[in-house]
Amino acid sequence: MASAARPARSLAAQERRFALALLAPALAVLLLTTTAPLVYLGWTSLMRLDLAMPYLSGFAGLDNYVKMGSDPRFWNSLALTGIYTASTVVLQVVIGLTLALLVLQIPRGQALLRIAAILPIVLAPVVVGLFWRTLVLAPDFGLVDLVTRSLGLGSHNWLGDPQLALISVIAIHTWQWTPFAFLVLLASLATLPPDVYEAARLDRASAWQRFVHITLPLLRPAIVMVVILRMMTALSAFAAIFAATGGGPGSATEILNLYAYRTSFTELNLGYGSSLAVVLLAITLAISFVMFRLRRAR
Amino acid sequence: MKGSVRLEGVVKRHGATTVLHGVDLDIEPGEFFVLLGPSGSGKTTTLRILAGLEEVSGGRVLMDGADVTAQEPGERDVAMVFQSYALYPHMTVAQNIAFPLKMVGTDPAATQQAVADAAGKVGIGHLLERRPGQLSGGQQQRVALARAIVRQPRLFLLDEPLSNLDAKLRLETRLELHALQRALGATAVYVTHDQEEAMTLADRIAVFMEGRIVQVGTPREVFSRPATVEVAGFIGTPPMNLLPARWEGSRLLIGSEAIAAPSATNAPREVTVGVRPGDLRLASAGIDARIERIEDLGDTCITSFAVGGRLLKQKSDRLPQAREGDAVRLAFAPEAAHVFDRATGARL
Repeated sequence: MASAARPARSLAAQERRFALALLAPALAVLLLTTTAPLVYLGWTSLMRLDLAMPYLSGFAGLDNYVKMGSDPRFWNSLALTGIYTASTVVLQVVIGLTLALLVLQIPRGQALLRIAAILPIVLAPVVVGLFWRTLVLAPDFGLVDLVTRSLGLGSHNWLGDPQLALISVIAIHTWQWTPFAFLVLLASLATLPPDVYEAARLDRASAWQRFVHITLPLLRPAIVMVVILRMMTALSAFAAIFAATGGGPGSATEILNLYAYRTSFTELNLGYGSSLAVVLLAITLAISFVMFRLRRAR
Repeated sequence: MKGSVRLEGVVKRHGATTVLHGVDLDIEPGEFFVLLGPSGSGKTTTLRILAGLEEVSGGRVLMDGADVTAQEPGERDVAMVFQSYALYPHMTVAQNIAFPLKMVGTDPAATQQAVADAAGKVGIGHLLERRPGQLSGGQQQRVALARAIVRQPRLFLLDEPLSNLDAKLRLETRLELHALQRALGATAVYVTHDQEEAMTLADRIAVFMEGRIVQVGTPREVFSRPATVEVAGFIGTPPMNLLPARWEGSRLLIGSEAIAAPSATNAPREVTVGVRPGDLRLASAGIDARIERIEDLGDTCITSFAVGGRLLKQKSDRLPQAREGDAVRLAFAPEAAHVFDRATGARL
């Protein structure tokens, strides 16, 4: 038995070694391109590394993190990140679900609408930002301005006014990513069993009761999945805001991601910028962990 | 007593296809009424029209004398058990049963009591906290029944509710279903393609063929006096043997064999003669046949005979003396013959 087991074990070991050899190149590339930069980011966040004052460079420990506590710009960007993420995700789910419910009633042309819905998603966010800045939200000749002026609401500096700028970047993100929620929810709605709705009609449920008691609970897994994915995208949003407002005016649209970028590459304070990025990473991981736990809970 | 149903000239079209060609039907209160027919005959469409899930293209639907044709399903005071059961998968059994009451704002205490009563009637009181996904097919079927009876509707609609159960459970549930309907005293309309189910459950049967009702009657009437050759060929296990024949005077000529007809005709005519497998017997004189196969089912025996390129079946409680391949003669009593017009298929 022992002699029979030995060749079997050595064969298994050989196979494991072969599998590792096949895996190694991919693993090495992955480590080099993702893990190594992250480790470097973590290390930089513990350094005093300000290219404007290179003579102060050195190990800072947790100083950069402690500094955040008394940095009003950090708290402002954190609050903006929260507002931006929550509002864009809620808007995407609500508008996406409404559109999906409406489109499901259309007997023909659903396929065309699905294709049309993909278009904003495939555009690069920076293109979306520029397109909205120059064609949609530009004062005087932008599409939105044309509408508000024709409605007698006057002309507005959509990206120049601090309050309107935040609403504008929320609208840009919502415009680009609502189709994703729409497509996922439309596909999920199409798979809901029709006989359950017939049973509910016979059980005297009104259209609203059917939506609340049947559709929403049955769509819950899809909605949670959309919320998780959209949250990740919203938390890491950058290019569209950068192209549309650059984080301004002032810091009106400076979400945490943009604050980290501006600190690192405009103010050249790489150490503090890195610590801001690490905080954003930690928040993203914590939220996704909680969301996945919630999803599995039921 | 409430629960009477009347269909008046109900027509249903899907585009260019006509599914129901003017269906007329009267169902009495408290009756167990079965809609029987092969697939695509229009029986389920008729049931869905009664439920209000399908609109009619013509005709009227009346319940207790009132025209409900334009009413929504929820306004008709009917409950339905679906073939798939259509339980709400995200709700517990108790929530499923309580749903029809909750939707009309019934008091929670009364709802709880009604749910317990309904669950007790179908024997699922111990499953109330489970979800449909955790139940067997038989248990799901009972939940669907409980959900239907909890609101005490005037009419129960059942769409092949036993078709997803195994054979043994189907037999048991069939009996329980019948007892439940009798205990509740409510009208039940039951759709099935299984003629045995129809025969055992129904007070009356409507037989559907190609979007038309071809016969309405008690199970005994439909079995013993089928109105058309299609009904004759559909009812009975095995179904009725059908042979082309010529009816001359008081004789039926089947091939070269003359057999006494149940009555006399003035003018000779081409007919189809039907004989139930139970009425066919081996005799010293009669139709020439060869035994193809003998199926011994224990309590009965089904023997297949080749007769001039056709296969006839005999059902007997005894094994035949002859063997497979033997040449024999078949006969039947004149009163056992069902005679149908060859062209129209109508009973003569």
